[in-house]
Amino acid sequence: MLNKIIMEQTKVDRRSFIKKMAAAAAMTAAATMFPGIVFAAEQIENIPKGGNLDWKKGPCRFCGVGCGILVGVENGKAVAVKGDPNSSVNKGLLCVKGYHQTMCIQAKDRLTHALVKKNGSYVKTPINEALDLVASKMKSTIEKHGKDSVAMYTSGQSTIPEGYVASKLMKGAIGTNNLDCNARLCMASAVTGFLTTFGADEPMGCYEDIDYADYFITWGNNMAEMHPVLFSRMLEQKNNRGAKIIDFATRTTRSSMAANKSILFEPQTDLAVANAICYEIINNGWVNKSFVEKHCNFSKGSTNIGYGTEDKFKFTDKPEAINFEEYKEFLKDYTPEKVAKYSKVSVKDIKYLANIYGDPNKKVVSYWCMGMNQHTRGTWMNNLVYNIHLLTGKISQPGNGPFSLTGQPSACGTAREVGTFTHKLPKGVVMNPKHRELAAKIWKVPVERIPSKPTYHATEMFRAVDRGEIKFIWTQVTNPLVSLPKTSRYRPAMEKESCFVVVSDVFPTPTSDVADVILPASWHIEKGGLYGNSERRTQHWDKMVEGPGETTPDAWMTIEVAKRMGYGDLFPYSKENHVEEIYNEYRQFHEGAKHGMAPLEVLKKESGAIWPYVDGKSTQWRFNSKYDPACDNGEDFHFYGKPDGKAVIWQRPFENAPEMPDQEYPFWLNTGRVIEHWHTGSMTRRIPVLHRAMPNAYVELHPEDAIKFGIRNGEKVKVTSRRGSCTLPASINERGLPTKGQVFVPFFDESLLINDVTLDAFCPISKEPDYKKCAVKIEKV
Amino acid sequence: MKRLYFIGIFALLIIATIYTWSKSYYTEQEEAYVQLPVESGQVLIPSEKGVFERSRFANDYATMREDYKGGRSLDTYYNNRAFHGAPPSIPHPVVNDLTMGDKSCLKCHENGGYVSKFEAFTPVVPHPEKVNCRQCHVPQKTESLFKGTNSGSFSRPSINNEAFEGGPPIIPHQIQLHENCLACHAGPSAPKEIRVLHPERSNCRQCHVLNNKEMTDIGNFIR
Repeated sequence: MLNKIIMEQTKVDRRSFIKKMAAAAAMTAAATMFPGIVFAAEQIENIPKGGNLDWKKGPCRFCGVGCGILVGVENGKAVAVKGDPNSSVNKGLLCVKGYHQTMCIQAKDRLTHALVKKNGSYVKTPINEALDLVASKMKSTIEKHGKDSVAMYTSGQSTIPEGYVASKLMKGAIGTNNLDCNARLCMASAVTGFLTTFGADEPMGCYEDIDYADYFITWGNNMAEMHPVLFSRMLEQKNNRGAKIIDFATRTTRSSMAANKSILFEPQTDLAVANAICYEIINNGWVNKSFVEKHCNFSKGSTNIGYGTEDKFKFTDKPEAINFEEYKEFLKDYTPEKVAKYSKVSVKDIKYLANIYGDPNKKVVSYWCMGMNQHTRGTWMNNLVYNIHLLTGKISQPGNGPFSLTGQPSACGTAREVGTFTHKLPKGVVMNPKHRELAAKIWKVPVERIPSKPTYHATEMFRAVDRGEIKFIWTQVTNPLVSLPKTSRYRPAMEKESCFVVVSDVFPTPTSDVADVILPASWHIEKGGLYGNSERRTQHWDKMVEGPGETTPDAWMTIEVAKRMGYGDLFPYSKENHVEEIYNEYRQFHEGAKHGMAPLEVLKKESGAIWPYVDGKSTQWRFNSKYDPACDNGEDFHFYGKPDGKAVIWQRPFENAPEMPDQEYPFWLNTGRVIEHWHTGSMTRRIPVLHRAMPNAYVELHPEDAIKFGIRNGEKVKVTSRRGSCTLPASINERGLPTKGQVFVPFFDESLLINDVTLDAFCPISKEPDYKKCAVKIEKV
Repeated sequence: MKRLYFIGIFALLIIATIYTWSKSYYTEQEEAYVQLPVESGQVLIPSEKGVFERSRFANDYATMREDYKGGRSLDTYYNNRAFHGAPPSIPHPVVNDLTMGDKSCLKCHENGGYVSKFEAFTPVVPHPEKVNCRQCHVPQKTESLFKGTNSGSFSRPSINNEAFEGGPPIIPHQIQLHENCLACHAGPSAPKEIRVLHPERSNCRQCHVLNNKEMTDIGNFIR
């Protein structure tokens, strides 16, 4: 490499070096003459400024991995970000979004003041007046149309205090269950999967599983782009220890390229392949008999359960106990040979997967996120992967277990644990009188005020806006008019006069475009808060910088509105210290060995703690008596979420997707994310580095399909479904490669709205929409 | 003689059988329980990992001449970074958007070298063990912005920061993910302003210390 550079001594530099040395010697001599006092001021003066930033600890603002970040603050401004080396999640590494995150707050179109729509245009309004208006509007709507005419739609990015006060206001103070959140669009199937199988939400394992596992099997999950820090930890294990990554997906991605093996399947047939793996495990005698006998029950539920595409869709599952023989009989429809025919996965590959799970000496972790959750049979799919791990007893042990990843920084901490869903309370569900009593006691409200019937889940909430049932809606920390499925229906719905729309956000978005009042929210580091990540880790951060203008933390705006509505006695928090006061009140809900949360002093000092936090210790593996103090049945494992302490193996069949490619609409449409942008891009697109790296959305085609339609890279392609259309530039053989007969479009781009095209069908059990499958046609424009 | 062969083969077979049997027996005995390492608390000493990593090239770097084509300056170094310490963006077209680091980026960026097409020396990556390069490094496809921004220039760490004349300069930046000093401070791709005069003394941290608030301040000792 250096051959081109001919050797040459650098005499000049040597001379100057000697000079410097002489000067130094003189100074040292001077120093000995005046010991202790010489040059101290000079030394301090010369200490470099750049390396002397004030680094403040917190969790990352973006995905559910929950990396620890350190924000470098200089003169009250965030000027640098790096990974927190003390955080066991990321050990000092971040991804490109994480490193540049604080740059978005510098955007020129930042919302700094409240805006109220008057005669069709937005008028800058003092925040107090805007909050007065919101409160009086909410109050008068309740008086005129009843409690269930007002709704709040929050987020898996809301902090724990923000979610908690929203729930307390809606369910405890006003007395309506009209509260749901965008986590319904991403995690609901994971929740119902956990509840049906284990009776307790959230993963049993933790990220340390990566350090012990022999195999990582990713189910429809492009971790290299979506959970890059965890993927880097996996790659490290692959290179150092020979662990293997197997990518099971419908599209070839960076994860497939880095994996030891990539297996592609036809959309929706993951249900059948999972059953085929179970068939193989039983057929080859790989079942961990003592584990299954001691710790598992078998059950089946309703079939042909519908897709929820019609308004006011209702469904309740009817579980029925079965025995092992019946389950074995059911699996006979799912031999690898039968499944290979329609899943397009070879018999060999199905047996290969089953072999990995079946080998008692191999530790396996399954990872998944939106591929399995955004699925019209999402709950079933979650159950099926648990079946595999339960049949083989590979669960709740270091390096062994199913792991459901999250997409939002506090989908677990806020949406699932605080419970900002229509059916949830901070502990338990509204249907359960005991849970209502506990909430009423801690909230200090009469128990009758908390209604016992859930109302609208996310999709149905916006349908109700369209039908005119909801007259007032307040959205916080979310951008539904980009992220909902079938926005072609819900945008006109939100524009209707019948509904008063309040949007709290940091930046203008297509959702704030239809608002009657826009409230300026503080961004992440401009307020304090707590997030909870995928591995049950609760993380705290303090306010690091001042927000511009009249920006206010979302929790405080909710409290201000509650006070103005006359619920001040229920919200006795102080502006400076409300995060701490609310967290301490909220902690009471989860007291005990099963869900105890770490005290705030610990969270302030450490880079997060995993619940159940018992006797000053995080519980890394739940349900395993060696690690989890809540296990009390005297056995090695105790699935204490269920009354009899046993997990359920569910009989769940394969059922088709609601809309399949046909003559008229011959392609599957799959949507998702790219590494540069996060969700609807309202933050990441305002970060120069990220926008320049990925300026707009595109449609990925298989090269053969592109040839058939005469489409070349970059040419405009119109993607049309029965609901709407979207014209995007074509991308062939670039970031990803969909299978033949499938197109892929990322959804971050608010000017190329692919969700106008998607279908609002959802899993009847979890009510989570399927963004990954609908039928479209393509044409060159 | 023949008999000896047979006995030998059988002995080997028996040993092999015993070995295989006991190995499989012990793997079966393996428990799901894993002894967890005790978590260490606060890191007091900043990471030393990688200080000597590129020292095998040190002698070459030491005898390298000063003026040559294709070197970098600090301006070009900072031009594709959002702030000091940010991951640099990729200033050139990328052949394949799909592949991982070890199959594409590291071919050039692991050890550097002259690229005649760009008339420049390839910068050397200080952390070649991290292969999901595009996790942090992204290309720039457009000059435009989605919405305007006020985030403009950032302050660079100063260069001449010896505590006194002739003293070894203090490390003016954080070193996380760039603990490998020689990757940026030596070799033909190192920006000329920060190229070290004595790369052969590869124990950099012997004389150059960090000045960093992350180290826990235990306060002054008072008698």
